[in-house]
Amino acid sequence: MPAAISYRPRRLSRVTDRVMRLALWGLALAFIAVLAVFVGAILKQGWPVLNLGFLTRMPETLDAGGGIKPEIFNSLYLVALSLAISLPIGLGAGIYMAEYAGQGRILRFLRLCIETLAATPSIVLALFGMIVFVQMMGWSFSIRSGAVTLALLNIPVITRVTEVSLLGVPRELKEASYGLGATRLQTILKVALPYAATGILTGLVLTAGRAFGESAILVFTAGTNTSQTFPDFRLTVPGETLSVHLWYVTSDGTLPDAREIAAGTAAVMIVVLLVLNLSVRLLDRFIRRRTR
Amino acid sequence: MPDAPDSLLEAPPCASDPAQESLVLESLPKEPAFRHSRLQRLADRWSHLLFLACGLLVVALIGGILYFLAARGVGAFMPLAGNTDKILTLKEVFLSTDWDPNSGKFGILPFIAGSLSVTGLALLIAAPAGILTGVFIAKLAPGWMKTLMRQVMDLLVGIPSVVYGIFGLMVVLPWVSGKWLSDSPAAGFAVSAAILAVMIVPTIVSLSTDAFESLPLTLEEGSQALGSTRWQAIWHVLIPAARPRLLTATVLGLGRAIGEAMAIQMVIGNNPQWIALMRQSTDQTPILRFLFTPAATLTTELVQELPNTAAGSTWNNLLFAMGLLLYLMTMLIILATRRLGRQRNA
Repeated sequence: MPAAISYRPRRLSRVTDRVMRLALWGLALAFIAVLAVFVGAILKQGWPVLNLGFLTRMPETLDAGGGIKPEIFNSLYLVALSLAISLPIGLGAGIYMAEYAGQGRILRFLRLCIETLAATPSIVLALFGMIVFVQMMGWSFSIRSGAVTLALLNIPVITRVTEVSLLGVPRELKEASYGLGATRLQTILKVALPYAATGILTGLVLTAGRAFGESAILVFTAGTNTSQTFPDFRLTVPGETLSVHLWYVTSDGTLPDAREIAAGTAAVMIVVLLVLNLSVRLLDRFIRRRTR
Repeated sequence: MPDAPDSLLEAPPCASDPAQESLVLESLPKEPAFRHSRLQRLADRWSHLLFLACGLLVVALIGGILYFLAARGVGAFMPLAGNTDKILTLKEVFLSTDWDPNSGKFGILPFIAGSLSVTGLALLIAAPAGILTGVFIAKLAPGWMKTLMRQVMDLLVGIPSVVYGIFGLMVVLPWVSGKWLSDSPAAGFAVSAAILAVMIVPTIVSLSTDAFESLPLTLEEGSQALGSTRWQAIWHVLIPAARPRLLTATVLGLGRAIGEAMAIQMVIGNNPQWIALMRQSTDQTPILRFLFTPAATLTTELVQELPNTAAGSTWNNLLFAMGLLLYLMTMLIILATRRLGRQRNA
């Protein structure tokens, strides 16, 4: 019997291997630490400010002690409106790309456009919204200018997530539908979309979170003021959101308690996003369980 | 059945003649077993146009943004209708570091240099860190750690830029200036780039994780069968193999970084004359001066000055031209990722 051939890497290689693997663990743990410090610091700074009064008072323009009631409302209202605008368009475009465009040049071109729109900086979308909706359409700084421009941010994300979810629908399911005599449209609307719905919903929640946090677009389209009545559902009034408020009070500097208000607003936003994130996770788990 | 061969022979001319064709069709059984209602058939035939329209809307948006930004931006360089303000030459805008709009000086070089500096610094941190984290998640981490890291990245990408900004303003800036700069303000490229790096790292991590996970397992196995350690396999085999996709990930991170506005605007110090200021001051080493001089970028300057300028003025038009520049950079970046993608498939 020949002796077992055994090869061990050189000592230096083994040491490097161990060191680098430890370093990669360290790097990963560092990211977890960054996130923990980040969320911890924001919540810690904001905690003393957070109380029912802060959440339910109107904001002040010159004095200390203002709340963020209308900003909370505006944030939710603008997110809902922008989703209502972008959902049909994004669904339509996603359906076209997944079900009709085939594999050719049209699909490639559409995908290029979607990618470009998705990568367009929000400040550029803000400039576009400012020219077209605020100035040319004469809508000035208002909820409607903000909602429409914000929709531009959502459209590529919803399109992409619709396309991906539809492509994930098993072929057999569609073939069975055709076999039963359904038309293409019926198959899409009654078989493919319901199957893809949970995936699309997850994407929608993520989109809502992104729109909720967006500020650059809204500073230049929805404005940095808010209506004095509450709740104000009119589309023509300016609608400062939480994120815009957070930015505006720190950069404007007329409020004596700008720092506290910013910290409190940031904490509220973090809490909202944590909740959204959790719901995405639950949705995801639900999908996995169903498809298993 | 003597007729059968004949009719088969005649079939081709039949098909090309519409009248004959319909005759053939009519000889088929009249009623299909099942027919959709007229409405259903119409809907099925025309609905794709509706979906196509949604897709075309996106195409129109891409063109529309380009058109409207250009229409305003060009006004700074050309006498358009109603523009009575100063007309600038390309040279005095793109080759001058002097930005002082109130005395007619419109050099945007400081902003371009600022954008490139802060983006470059951020990538210097985020690209290696992101790629290595990607390899860690894909190849080394146990299952629970994979899930945990994915969630961490999801949260990091979901945090709004103003919240990153306020964190920089309230936590990072005081800490840096207290710890290293003996209480001089820490605003500038260093802190901006560090925050930007954290903002773009999830993009790079998730794309490079995908890149490593899609590599054939045989690569790694082959390398280890030849006696390499895991790290040697990663460094000498996996990273080179995944290179085109890793580059794509980095380029997309670059795209995110160059367009980010609010977070940087809150911590960079917003000083258009940063190049001059950096040259004048002598109290620190050049590298520290570069890292901690309050500066400005294309995006921060837009946020800073757009609300204060009158529509139609040269100043205002030039700000839109800067937006156009950002948009063109985005397009370039997307085209670059396309190029990289094609390389990968070839």
